[in-house]
Amino acid sequence: MVVVLSVIAMVSAAVLSLVYGKTSVIIEENAARALESSVLEVLPGTATVNMIRRSPDELGVDDPQEMREKGQETTIIYQGVDEQGQIVGYAFVGEGNGYGGVVRVLVGVDEATDQVLNVKILNHAETPGLGSRIEEEGFRSQFAGKTVDDPITVNQDIQIISGATISSRAVADAVREGLQDTVRIYRGGE
Amino acid sequence: MARLWKNFVNGLWNENPTFRIMIGLCPVLAVTTEAINGIGMGLATTFVLVCSSALVSLLRKVIPEKVRIPAYIVVIATFVTIVDLFMNAYLPDLHQVLGLFIPLIVVNCIVLGRAEAFASKNSVVSSILDGLGMGLGFTWALTVLAAVRELLGSGSIFGWKLAADGATTIGVMSLPPGAFITLGILMALMNMIAARQKRRAS
Repeated sequence: MVVVLSVIAMVSAAVLSLVYGKTSVIIEENAARALESSVLEVLPGTATVNMIRRSPDELGVDDPQEMREKGQETTIIYQGVDEQGQIVGYAFVGEGNGYGGVVRVLVGVDEATDQVLNVKILNHAETPGLGSRIEEEGFRSQFAGKTVDDPITVNQDIQIISGATISSRAVADAVREGLQDTVRIYRGGE
Repeated sequence: MARLWKNFVNGLWNENPTFRIMIGLCPVLAVTTEAINGIGMGLATTFVLVCSSALVSLLRKVIPEKVRIPAYIVVIATFVTIVDLFMNAYLPDLHQVLGLFIPLIVVNCIVLGRAEAFASKNSVVSSILDGLGMGLGFTWALTVLAAVRELLGSGSIFGWKLAADGATTIGVMSLPPGAFITLGILMALMNMIAARQKRRAS
């Protein structure tokens, strides 16, 4: 009895570790490629993507300790460069709390004007058919042209999706907070 | 041969897991907001059903009576994890949509139910056919249910927008109550057809 069950469990573990070893590489590659192609989407004209990593100490943030406690050890900013080597803009991943969990968005910002170019929803767990409509162009396009000086708040300059107030607010929060942090970091205290 | 065929079609209609024996309703209600999710979920479940039925049937004389449930669960969980990993690697888009519901196939009672009620008592070939029939029966049930809900709830089908922009859709159909309503109506329709067939036969 014990032997049979142990053997089954061992065979199962062996098979799974084999499958995991094979697929985990592809899964990681997929994730990296997906993020890179997402950056291309939010920064049109980009040919190559640079990653800029900054740790809180380098940034000279008021309180690096506080940032570390929040788990924000490093901030990654994606910089888009076109074929001529000109910087197109920069992109960042923002997070907001939605109805079904964290909503992660990728925001592309124009190099010259610091205006938001595009917003892409990376992943979310919102209610299909309601909250999931944050993925629709009509909602996302409202963020284009916004800068740090805009409120980027629902019911002010962002119209909510009816029936999806919390999801809409999550996206607005993610864009607003991410934009504030990223512009400050990227422009280095301008 | 006729008996094997009967094993296969059993799950498609007479003992359709969703509409007839009404087991495994949790994913039925949860993922059927869009037709494509219904197909994806159905096929993933079919794969797990066929593989686990085959293995359970193969091992039916080896597994002692007392530990059969844990043994079946290990077998099922292994196949589900394989599906989960492969889908994540090769079909990342679908995997992102189905998300949590793929690992939850483990606790779908159709899979364990067929292992216990059929595969543990029958030959490998009949068990595979039974799993395939049950799985495809589950798949078509999910797809029809999801198509109806997608059409009424979001005005599209398989992601293609059918309703005009700004047309009113019945939002509740995308929510859990919509799943219950649609399931009830479809079940009534199936019963009606079955009753009519019976009357004609007699």
